[in-house]
Amino acid sequence: MGIELKYSEILRQNTALARSLGEERYKISVLTNVTVSQIKEILEYTLRLEGVPAVVTIGDYDNIVQDSLKYKRSELVVLFWEPYSTAGDLQYRIDLLSDFEVNKIFDKTCAELGLVFKNLQETSLVLMNTFTSLPFSAMDVMPGKLEELTRKLNAHLRDHTPKNARVIDLDKVIARVGIEKSFDLRYWYSSKAPYTINFLKSYSHCVKPFVLSSRGKAKKALIFDCDNTLWKGVLGEEGVSGIQMSRATKEGSFFADVQSIALSLNKQGVLIGLCSKNNPQDVDEVVRLHPDMQLRDENLAVKRVNWADKVSNLREIARELNIGLDSLVFVDDSAFEVNLVRSQLPEVTVLQVPESLHLYPSMLRANGGLFCSLSITAEDAKKTEMYKDQAHREVSKMEFGDLESYLASLGTKLTIHEDDVSIVARMAQLSQKTNQFNLTTIRYTEGDIGAFVSGALTSVFAFSVSDRFGDSGITGLCIVKNLDVQEAVIDTFLMSCRVLGRNVEYAFMNWLIERLERQGARRVYARYVETAKNAQVKEFFDCCSFSLRASTEKERDYVLNVHEYKSKQVEYVEIIDGSRRSYQECYGGRL
Amino acid sequence: MEAEGRIRNVMAAVFDIPAAEITDDASPHDIKTWDSLKHINLVLALEDEFDIHFDEAEIPSLVNFRIIAATVRAYAE
Repeated sequence: MGIELKYSEILRQNTALARSLGEERYKISVLTNVTVSQIKEILEYTLRLEGVPAVVTIGDYDNIVQDSLKYKRSELVVLFWEPYSTAGDLQYRIDLLSDFEVNKIFDKTCAELGLVFKNLQETSLVLMNTFTSLPFSAMDVMPGKLEELTRKLNAHLRDHTPKNARVIDLDKVIARVGIEKSFDLRYWYSSKAPYTINFLKSYSHCVKPFVLSSRGKAKKALIFDCDNTLWKGVLGEEGVSGIQMSRATKEGSFFADVQSIALSLNKQGVLIGLCSKNNPQDVDEVVRLHPDMQLRDENLAVKRVNWADKVSNLREIARELNIGLDSLVFVDDSAFEVNLVRSQLPEVTVLQVPESLHLYPSMLRANGGLFCSLSITAEDAKKTEMYKDQAHREVSKMEFGDLESYLASLGTKLTIHEDDVSIVARMAQLSQKTNQFNLTTIRYTEGDIGAFVSGALTSVFAFSVSDRFGDSGITGLCIVKNLDVQEAVIDTFLMSCRVLGRNVEYAFMNWLIERLERQGARRVYARYVETAKNAQVKEFFDCCSFSLRASTEKERDYVLNVHEYKSKQVEYVEIIDGSRRSYQECYGGRL
Repeated sequence: MEAEGRIRNVMAAVFDIPAAEITDDASPHDIKTWDSLKHINLVLALEDEFDIHFDEAEIPSLVNFRIIAATVRAYAE
């Protein structure tokens, strides 16, 4: 988190950042039954520093239910819902109430919670805090009724959290800040403001990973140096038997924990890679044969073990995995390498192994939020395998002189799934994470996609790509809105970078236009909206014989008269209609 | 920086005005943005800046630059 700025400095810098905001706004509404006025600038500053043009509005005091209707169109709604404020000042009075009266408060709060979540069901992201009684119960020896009510409310919340909501554990935030430094009861009695500036600073950091993830800014790959980063010792000098990463020794146990943390991130879908100055055969031997090595070949999506500089190696790693440099986190023990990468590749997040090694595992774990994913799906589990297939394809590609004959040799199959309710989570994740091949970059939540899938006027097509090297899983998404029988709009077209460069986008477009034509469509509208990352698809619709209707600096509007469509020659891609069976059924055993 | 300078900077940030405009007699009377919410922000910002904790009773009286400076100095000593 770095050194915290003083509150006045946050106010000053936030005002300065406000002047450099572009046209986009990320609207955040804070709905609350206590006073948290100071969160506005602190949260804005924390997010603006990460390039999010956040503008925070704070709802009326103790007006959560009505405000949930008023602010439902925000990009993010944050809820501060304190149990000691659910029925007037409850903190000590509650112990004087009968169980019947306390139950009524519980029932009323649950009903309101349900109503608020329902009102917010179309909001992209809702962050709800766990209920906490700590400001008034931390010193209790015997649990009081407030603590009991809080426990019940949290149990209810756990079972009734909607898909578009995530829960922040407030007790953990309070524990990090310290209870004495989290609450200031001077302003509780005068203006119902329980929290300190310190608390609000720390809380804002907890919001950050969720926002970055929903904007497609989560990190995707964790790249490790080897010597004194994954194990203790220098492989080239001490040999395979000399390095240590066993829990049986103190020196080794730090690295054993680090590898366990990395392995667990890998199981959540984070790609793990190596970038090390070593002899590749030596490192291969450790990865394959060392009894204490936890990260094996099946966990490693990419290895760059050679004597070239780390900057070029990291560039190649990003290229090979087909992700941006800003999706990489790099860990190294050497101050030289760390500074070199920081200065040459500022987009890469660089973590240096701390000198006090007992701090190393917890430092890595604390940075896990960088990879925060809003929806973990079955696809994540087999991601490493898919990216490795990609890496094999890159190697094969170099061997083939002629790209077309290479593509033809792959035996590519494109399986298209239409309005498939079983893959809504994956489709939403694609919409949130895909940056490069994304024509409009509209971010949709699971709720949005679900509504499109069941809606009569919208068709949602997802596709997977397989070839002789492997199966990409669901990696493409196209949302088409039918204006009427004769006119349709391509609202969204995107593909994961894993399947780029194989011309499947043209095969899909051939299929889509033919399909729309069969349904009676005469005209298809489409649009390209420029972002910092999608320049590669700027002329995609031009290539698909659409005509440019209007364009501004950031947007290009197209129309296609369907009978004028010129299909691309990509017969080497075989198209399979997957919509007769759901994806889960087709791949049930492999998910 | 001496305490007075730091107080001026804090006030400038809270009220979003240049530090030079904050005279020794500055009060809500001549600083338009100094309302009751900003007053709380000012108190919290001063406490954060100097790592002090004002007594609840003296908070309402901190409405003049000289008084603020004297109060902060008393805590610092």
